[in-house]
Amino acid sequence: MIKGLYAAASAMVAQINQQKLLTHNAANMNTPGFKQTLSSLSEWWTTPAYTATDGIDTTYGNWLGNLGLGVESLPEISDFSSGALESTGEIYDVAISGEGFFRVKTPDGERLTRDGRFNRDAKGNLVTVDGYQILNSAGQPIVLPDGTPSFAQDGTVTVNGVNAGKIALVSFKDPETELTRDGENMFLAAGAPTGESVGTIEQGYLEMSNVDSASLMTQMVTVARAYEAAQKMVQNQDELLGKSISTLGKIG
Amino acid sequence: MSSLYQILNIARQSMMARMQDLDNTSNNLANVNTTGYKSSRANFQELLSNANQMSGVELRSTQLMQGAGAVQTTLNNLDLSITGEGFFQVKLANGTLAYTRSGQFGLDAQSRIVTPDGNQLVWSGTVPAGAQNVLVSNNGEVSAEVNGVRTTLGTLQLARFSNPGALLVKGNSLYAPSDASGTATTGAPGTGNFGSLRANSLEQSNVNVALEMTHLITVQRSFQVSSKAFQQADTMMQEAIQMRKA
Repeated sequence: MIKGLYAAASAMVAQINQQKLLTHNAANMNTPGFKQTLSSLSEWWTTPAYTATDGIDTTYGNWLGNLGLGVESLPEISDFSSGALESTGEIYDVAISGEGFFRVKTPDGERLTRDGRFNRDAKGNLVTVDGYQILNSAGQPIVLPDGTPSFAQDGTVTVNGVNAGKIALVSFKDPETELTRDGENMFLAAGAPTGESVGTIEQGYLEMSNVDSASLMTQMVTVARAYEAAQKMVQNQDELLGKSISTLGKIG
Repeated sequence: MSSLYQILNIARQSMMARMQDLDNTSNNLANVNTTGYKSSRANFQELLSNANQMSGVELRSTQLMQGAGAVQTTLNNLDLSITGEGFFQVKLANGTLAYTRSGQFGLDAQSRIVTPDGNQLVWSGTVPAGAQNVLVSNNGEVSAEVNGVRTTLGTLQLARFSNPGALLVKGNSLYAPSDASGTATTGAPGTGNFGSLRANSLEQSNVNVALEMTHLITVQRSFQVSSKAFQQADTMMQEAIQMRKA
């Protein structure tokens, strides 16, 4: 009986966790380059169940099967599907059409992002919206001279017709397992890039967030109902427990 | 329970961000007819607290969009527009410099070239009293008819910034440099990367009404989703509290 109580409670905890992910995804519905976080639930440990004994006999009763002890959230994974490209017409806005990530230099080391809101900082470096430098394939920052830059599809930057560097794109065969979220709108690679091809760079566009608001709303409803059901189950278990305490021990 | 509070906080953070976005969009729409106005974009970024804890979204910066506005022709000789990069330099009443793309100039009572707010245009000369028909050429040369003879009085220079999107907005179409924008470099119009001047014309606002309106819709919808998430977290909390029956 107590087992059931905790199993139901574990479902409430798991649904709270789901709701947190959904709320964070909803908050970033309009954040360019944002990849939504997904999580799934899985059955937690099970325990063998036996037929009841009189409590005096020390041998187990007959094995009935396994009893579930509840539910747990599986590790979060990022959904790397592409967001829609939105035209902004801004010269420093770039989007990756297809696979790949920009290499970004942060104080904590190199990170990857799909967020193409770039700018030229006061020293001429090509930087992200957070002010981190964008790197070329040699891992060096790209310094832009004065003038209006033009980004070619392969990442080559030209300013007033003069080559000013090339933005590096790296891709991964299986980003879900090779990349972990680390830092705001950024990812950390476990090893060297394994992808064979990268997409093209489109100037004047931004890749929007890949959060799907319609499925987000339906998932939120599912969470609400699952949570409610688990809460009812806790109450039921509590009632049964109460009844067994107050009535089973009664004599006469 | 603590993570239910966290959900409330993420949703609150998001709703506040949407309000800031709405303020920014409203200001752009209000300035759809303001000469030399540059639309502003609110840059939001995912917010993580200690140890990559999901915390919603945050306004990271606002950015001035650098697209050129349409050019409108006018009858005033001292209406100037810049084709290409650069800002006019004007001197504020307190003596500091400010920068603007709004080229609505005129002469004040002391024959100084001023903006509609009375801020003086920075250039290398002065207009003598009684000078007629002041003109500014494409490359910034200021001339006037003095005693019936056209005379060159001086030149005006434009200012450029490494990152003009990061200039501070001072109001009245004026901008000031920031750490992120870098300091101004000046030069003659039409040389190097400086745009050239065009008289009898004004640069219109670069606000794109269609883009702003669609943005307004997405802002409203994402606010709704977050407020829904807030309500739901509240209900979940209530249900947890009411679980124990009396």
